[in-house]
Amino acid sequence: MTSSNVSRRGLLRTAALGAGTLALGGGLSACGAGSPSSAADALTYWDWYVTQAPWVDREIELFEKGHSDVSVKKSTQQNAKYADLVALANRSGNPPDVFMIPQVPSVAEQVAKGWLHPLDEWATPQWQSRFPEGTFLEGANVFDGKVYSAPLKGSGPLYQLYIHHGVFKSAGLTNPDGTVKIPRTWDEVTSAAQTITKKSGGKSYGLGFGNADNIGVLAWWLDLFVRGAGAPGGAPTGAGTGMDYRVGKWTYGTDRSYADFLELFVEWKKRGFFHPNSVSLSDEAARAFFERGKFGMTVGGVWNQPEWTQHKFTDYSLVTLPSPTATPKGYYYADPVGNGSFAAVSAKSKKAHEAFQWLDALTSPAAGRRWVQDLNGVSAYPAGNDPTGIDSKPFAAFVGMTRQVLRGPVPLVRNPDLAGVAPGAPKPDISDVVTGIYTGQIKDVQGALSSLADKKFQLLSDAVAAVAKQGKKVSTADYVFADWDPTKPYTTKKKA
Amino acid sequence: MSLLDTRERRRASPPPPPVAVRPGLGRRIRAAKWSYLYLAPMAVLLLAFVVYPIFASFGYTFYRWNGIGAPGDYVGLANFRQILHDGIFWGAVGHTFVYAFVLVPVQLLLALALALVLNNPKLKFALFFRTVYFIPVVTSAAVVGVVIQLMLANFGDSAGSLLAKTGVGDGQIDWLGDPHTALAVIIAIGIWHTLGYNLVYFLAGLQTIPAELYEAAKLDGCGPVQSFFRITIPMLRQVGVVIVVLAFIGSFQVFDLVQVLTGGGPYFATEVVNTYIYHLAFGGSAGAAAQPDIGLASAASFLYGLLLIVFSALQVLALRGISRRRTVANQ
Repeated sequence: MTSSNVSRRGLLRTAALGAGTLALGGGLSACGAGSPSSAADALTYWDWYVTQAPWVDREIELFEKGHSDVSVKKSTQQNAKYADLVALANRSGNPPDVFMIPQVPSVAEQVAKGWLHPLDEWATPQWQSRFPEGTFLEGANVFDGKVYSAPLKGSGPLYQLYIHHGVFKSAGLTNPDGTVKIPRTWDEVTSAAQTITKKSGGKSYGLGFGNADNIGVLAWWLDLFVRGAGAPGGAPTGAGTGMDYRVGKWTYGTDRSYADFLELFVEWKKRGFFHPNSVSLSDEAARAFFERGKFGMTVGGVWNQPEWTQHKFTDYSLVTLPSPTATPKGYYYADPVGNGSFAAVSAKSKKAHEAFQWLDALTSPAAGRRWVQDLNGVSAYPAGNDPTGIDSKPFAAFVGMTRQVLRGPVPLVRNPDLAGVAPGAPKPDISDVVTGIYTGQIKDVQGALSSLADKKFQLLSDAVAAVAKQGKKVSTADYVFADWDPTKPYTTKKKA
Repeated sequence: MSLLDTRERRRASPPPPPVAVRPGLGRRIRAAKWSYLYLAPMAVLLLAFVVYPIFASFGYTFYRWNGIGAPGDYVGLANFRQILHDGIFWGAVGHTFVYAFVLVPVQLLLALALALVLNNPKLKFALFFRTVYFIPVVTSAAVVGVVIQLMLANFGDSAGSLLAKTGVGDGQIDWLGDPHTALAVIIAIGIWHTLGYNLVYFLAGLQTIPAELYEAAKLDGCGPVQSFFRITIPMLRQVGVVIVVLAFIGSFQVFDLVQVLTGGGPYFATEVVNTYIYHLAFGGSAGAAAQPDIGLASAASFLYGLLLIVFSALQVLALRGISRRRTVANQ
């Protein structure tokens, strides 16, 4: 076993060196002439930002102007392979100086493996104080009291319902003043979808999506519609997310909102409201179909907007949390854990000081403001999220929606030892189940939802038990916040 | 029988032919050293990228491991148990076998029919047609998948409307998104995509049949149908066995077409074993959220390997049985 391990490592090292060389080559070619220092001296930086690349490039340009002795060589890696590449680079002992933190393994594991450089010598209390309160969180970006990262993004509503003005106007869905009648409740969405499908004569459908990429698009629909119905866990596909913290469980099987929405969802399909190719369209194709008015409504995130803006398509609106009633019974909740670990300085960096300067620039309030102005999302700094300064109406609407994001319970604040809990994802997961229900492959909706909820809790219990075995005081009760009202902001208290 | 009788018989029978002494292994290798030299690069690559991973991955079957760092969470045979109890795995096995057992016969019949047409010396532009039928083979499955997916997304509803006019369906067919049609569409594309291979094999086989046989049969009053069944089919038997075996091997390895066209969906309706293993090894069907599990993936591939060995053994036994029966029938 030992010898085979050695040879495997050797192979991986060679592969990583190759990948590193290629990446460096890519970075070199991406770098323009006139860099202040030679390629060998440059800071290496890895991310997976493609649509956000113009923002990164501008930040590099501004940073290099302010730091004449430092240059940054950016390598944008493929998102799907990013975690593997970072792991290989670290194993080969040749990681980039600064890198966006991959989602796998967990940040806690990356710290334990010694991949990340603690920022303590630079991240002084004064530096930390520029960020909003609660930014630095043990188990998210702080481990054993040492800071390892800082946030770039703030929390906006993860998903929105997009409304095509042209399609709505063609179907006569307008107010007396000529503006588009925006659907805000489940019934209004049903009614609008029916009108569009009926009046377009087969040219347009009320609703549409692109589920072919297996990125969980149908879970987005479930998430958007059930939160406002009072299921605060929603339906994210992450292994440890989507929980209803009032009970510390996944409530797919016990909260009627899930089955009710899925019943309506199937009803929409049966009545022909959805574009017929929705299951086999890619998300990208669905975006193009929406732009061309093939359907009037779709669900997506703010990431849709840069592409439509590039195509000069801005004739749409967006709403979030369409609910059975006019007032939502639940909201989106801020994600201090996910947002807090954006990028890190490599523990192996020979230019750690310069690397921190680059990380500092990327997470500065000015960079955050430009992040918002370039329509990438909302900033970690609330002051940067002012819709009045934004030209794009749809994006300004999105930024305005941050008001609908409340502070919710954060189990990690209560018990930082939960950072080691890493439950696996069941197969099929929620996005698969919704697809099965939509296509009619799953007939027993309630049974499938209950079974999934049980599986998810079992996986969590196993993961908690594994951490408890290591001598840490963790339990599934750490996820229960019985006093939480999902319609109000909640401040998590630390475990006594 | 007496000893004398035996001696008499030996004397009467002709002497046995001299037994050829087979040269030793070293001598044979030296004699064919250039052949082995030419084979060496392929053998090295095969050992490094096929044989070694098979044995190396067996060790991973006993671990719960996401592929990062060294595997440390030993779970014994739990991965095998989980795979054996996973309905999606058995569904994927079923889809793979449906793919193979529908694709191979249909494709071979089509390829043989086309080969017979293209083998006709009187056919004009035969070379052009051969090229046309072979073009899909040299186009990568990924490109074919992407192009066909786009075509179906943009024009699939037109085909649905046409069918609706003939009274089939309601015109709203999502060819790759409907669990009732998705696998059939993939099989149809698979047949079209690799038809050229078998066409070329059959053409090569047909061209080895001496024309004199057909001329003699004609003189004896055989029609084209009789010639086909009495000459063409028996003469193609040897090459036919190879073609069938290769076609099944190729079909059981189906991956890229399914991955590009449907990713195994909707809701695992087109999941084949190779996409199932891929999804386990590189993250599941829910995108980045699903954790890769190299241990489970290795267990699944090991079990599938065993299944294929059993199937191959049965195939060999069946072919031997058929061959024996034919020999007996011909005696």
